[in-house]
Amino acid sequence: MRAEEQVPRSRSALRSGRHLIEADVCIIGSGISAAMVADRLARTTRMKIVVVEAGDEAPTLASRYALRDRYLQYGESPWPNDHLDGYEIDGPLQSRSMQVGGLAMHWGGVTPRWSPEDFKTKSLFGVGTDWPISYDDLDPFYQEAEELIGVAGEQGPAAMDPRSKPFPMAPLPLTYNLGLLKEWTSSAGITMWSQPSSKNSRPYDGRAECCRNDTCTPICPIGAKYSPDFTWQKLRATNRITLYPRTLVRRLVRDAVTQRITSAEAVQRGRGAGTPVTFRAKQFVVAAGYVWSAHLLLLSGVANRSGTVGKYLAGHRNQQAFIELPLKLYPGINGQHSLVTKQFMRTPPDARYLRHDLRVWESSYDRGPRLRDNASTIMLGDDILRDWRERTQTGVARVRAYYDVLPDRESALTLDTSRRNAWGDPLPRLAFKDAPESAALRSYSDDALKALFDRMARAGGGKVIRNEEDDGGFLDHPAGGCRMGSDTSSSVVDGWGRTHDHENLFVVGAPTCVSASCANATLTFCALALRSAVEIARG
Amino acid sequence: MTALSRRAFLGWLAAAIPASALVRRAHALAVDHLAANPRTLRALGEAVLPSELGSAGTAAAVDRFQRWIAGYREGAELLHGYGTSTLEKAGPTPATRWAAQLARLDAKHFADLPLEQRRTVIRAELAELKVDRIGSVGRAPHVGVALLAHFYASPEATDLCYESKIGKQNCRPLATSSRKPLPVARA
Repeated sequence: MRAEEQVPRSRSALRSGRHLIEADVCIIGSGISAAMVADRLARTTRMKIVVVEAGDEAPTLASRYALRDRYLQYGESPWPNDHLDGYEIDGPLQSRSMQVGGLAMHWGGVTPRWSPEDFKTKSLFGVGTDWPISYDDLDPFYQEAEELIGVAGEQGPAAMDPRSKPFPMAPLPLTYNLGLLKEWTSSAGITMWSQPSSKNSRPYDGRAECCRNDTCTPICPIGAKYSPDFTWQKLRATNRITLYPRTLVRRLVRDAVTQRITSAEAVQRGRGAGTPVTFRAKQFVVAAGYVWSAHLLLLSGVANRSGTVGKYLAGHRNQQAFIELPLKLYPGINGQHSLVTKQFMRTPPDARYLRHDLRVWESSYDRGPRLRDNASTIMLGDDILRDWRERTQTGVARVRAYYDVLPDRESALTLDTSRRNAWGDPLPRLAFKDAPESAALRSYSDDALKALFDRMARAGGGKVIRNEEDDGGFLDHPAGGCRMGSDTSSSVVDGWGRTHDHENLFVVGAPTCVSASCANATLTFCALALRSAVEIARG
Repeated sequence: MTALSRRAFLGWLAAAIPASALVRRAHALAVDHLAANPRTLRALGEAVLPSELGSAGTAAAVDRFQRWIAGYREGAELLHGYGTSTLEKAGPTPATRWAAQLARLDAKHFADLPLEQRRTVIRAELAELKVDRIGSVGRAPHVGVALLAHFYASPEATDLCYESKIGKQNCRPLATSSRKPLPVARA
């Protein structure tokens, strides 16, 4: 057992026989938002910081080539045991992953900023809810996040892609395939550029340059893609934090008079029921993602005077197509990198509300080797290879648009008393629901995107060979559940992430989002968390 | 471990019950059986893999497939799905099924048949099993399809198809990825 896994006892705890940990700040969760908060507090204050994580330690960087090999060969999880047993829940959970580093241990490292319009859809388009903060408020924290995690990016046209400073790293170069696909999209009147990514285009912060071995998701074996374990290693090595893995916070306890949170009651997982642990701190930061943050608040009965804890779960829906093009592509160079545009982030004044991103990848869809030919005859030996070569004379592009879905109040996480964890606590139940205006726009949105894909195909002399859309009730890059707002009757936290009900309780990152834009969200979660850390540092 | 005779091996398989320890033992026995009787598997490789590989390339592909079988871990945690809390584990070892299929081919003196006759035998077995696609290795219903799936998932197969050095899933200098992949030199 590592030293950090032992729960140390304070002098008073030893006297009373209880496990008691005291700190200035107690951060619950160790994912990417938690890492941002801890890093900023460690840099800018002398606060004593503890981080509490329910899951286990993540595998070391040195072990990742071997884990990747098992994934490539057998489809095995490269993050074994990254979950708590008995957490099968009702509803579309993004991931079972729960470990030091959180979901960002196996994220794609795709880091677009959201657009200024995302924060004021009500003012600009008459739908949804304006955030209490603007893009300009977040811009310096976007920059800080990009520098912390290391983002390689290409500046898009300034009108579409505003930023006050350059990216910290030059963009990842377009692969040969993406170069050809960029010419094609240009012929369709779409301006695209290299997708900003938290992957090193040069050695950065002690981590290696990307070598395009193309398993960014689920595992980068060389550490060229940022993951929060790097931040935790640095902060632990300098003794700026103490991190307690395998320790599940079950309740936040409040003082009935002051309404301040006085402790986090946890259990260190082990044999049997585990070991009870109490964390006391001046400030508590819930950084446990869109599910476990709201779940903890509901279990604790705190921060919910508005009745909106767990409500307004947000995300975006995707529509994608595979387009056959008269291009000789060579899939396999780096299939996870893409082109991106923000050209469709603004709804024209005379159009119905539809905002979406657009990305393009190389693809091998319908271009793999096959066993039976068009006449359904079984092929063996040279016939399979000959058939494969003939079918790869033309290429396939994957195009995908995430479009903005406005969340309904009843797009919600609730407590499911029919399913409980090993300690008897109800598990969450998840159900996403479009707000009425988004529900009314769904078929229009889907049809408009299919028409766009058709237009793109025609511009390249190709054709759409398959359309796909989300249909499982899951919205991608989920967020919300503790949304921010100025109105204390319809939100959980203020623009800094401080809960309206408890002056020393913060929620940071994904849960605080009012809406989920139409682009990958992690960089925004990081920026929001860093901005919260400014307020947390004020004490 | 001493290699079992075909009769003994099939007898053992028939008697095996799916208790976890016995399944592990069945897997180990099947792997040993394949290692001790490589002739039929190599003959299968010559029948289903492309001739451009040459005899050395075919033998290497078959060896890699055998290593894959030996390394299979029943019950291993698989990559999580996205948007679901359901966890998946690797299914029962396919080694016993494939070893039994190879044993049946061996009974037909498969390795002694001319190449085209071997293919006729395999086509008939695949048709009987109603196999339509190459699919994933571990779920292949027939050892011949498993061998195809294993080979065609490899970076080498992609390079062979495109006759170019794409180097799928291999590390490469970042700057070179903007260039058209170099053609593979042909003998």
